[in-house]
Amino acid sequence: MRKINSKQVILSLVSVVLGFMIAFSYNLTKDGQGAVKDKAWDQEYELRQQLIEQEKQNRELQKELLQKQAKVSNIEKDLAQEKQLFFNLAKDTEKYRMYLGKVKVKGTGLQVTLEDGSDMDSEANVNNYLVHEEHVFKVVNELYISGAEAVAINGQRLDHDSYIVCNGPVITIDGHQHPAPFIISAIGDPDILKASLDIPGGIKEQLVNENVIFTMEKQKKIIFDPIIGG
Amino acid sequence: MWLPVFGLLIGITLGFLVDFDIPHEYSNYLSIAVLAAFDTLFGGIRAHLQNLYDEVVFVTGFFFNIVLAAGLAFLGVHLGVDLYLAAIFVFGVRLFQNIAQIRRILIDKWSISRKKQKKNL
Repeated sequence: MRKINSKQVILSLVSVVLGFMIAFSYNLTKDGQGAVKDKAWDQEYELRQQLIEQEKQNRELQKELLQKQAKVSNIEKDLAQEKQLFFNLAKDTEKYRMYLGKVKVKGTGLQVTLEDGSDMDSEANVNNYLVHEEHVFKVVNELYISGAEAVAINGQRLDHDSYIVCNGPVITIDGHQHPAPFIISAIGDPDILKASLDIPGGIKEQLVNENVIFTMEKQKKIIFDPIIGG
Repeated sequence: MWLPVFGLLIGITLGFLVDFDIPHEYSNYLSIAVLAAFDTLFGGIRAHLQNLYDEVVFVTGFFFNIVLAAGLAFLGVHLGVDLYLAAIFVFGVRLFQNIAQIRRILIDKWSISRKKQKKNL
């Protein structure tokens, strides 16, 4: 009995070890290895899903980007047009200011001098030899028509509502009196201005016929100051 | 006779209750150790049935085979040789052989006892 007992104790030890190993191995395989595999698969699946999601998002964002870029280029085009518009407006403004006499003007031009006729007969009417306001009008109008940008008489600049009145031997321009001779200076292309006055049957001939001493002079540089209080 | 069965139950319970993880790469060694244990166990049963059973040989063989199998597998991994395949092969073949012999012996015994019964009848 005793001998059998010791034998059984050793066998029990063996079976304890065996049982432990079997159970442990089973346990490990059940929730260790399998779980690891599953986990890896799950993780891969999840990552793949994420990647797909990300790519989808990327594509959408890219589309959006393209749209936005198209929008931006449209806006830029608009801006360019607007810029052009503003540029033109600014130019126009400058031009109108010039016509209104609000800015200083500088450039080439033509200077016309009208003097009273001198070689008159004693019995002739003096009035026929004087420079009248209509002569000045004609010259000024002709200058404006042929593209003068600014005109001044005896240094007084004319603007859109200037008035010229004949007042005896003097001419009143905007309230300032000017005696003869009248120096009418105009800023513009001197060749064109001169040619337009020089036309046969034109202003020059008319004035000369009316005994006005008419002289023209091209100027390299004429400067008009802005009209004060205009 | 009940003591070994009791021990087996205790071992299984312990195995289920123990809750620590071994790294994945070591589970190979454990499976080989289990295989070695099985091999020795069935070898022991066969020896017992053939009346060749020796306790010392059985017990030393049990533990030594386990350690040797795991050690060989460990060595194989570190040498770059898949020695654990050899261990699995050897133990697997021996396991089947042992089980087959056990079956034959049991069948023999059973048929002899039946003949005896018939004779007795």
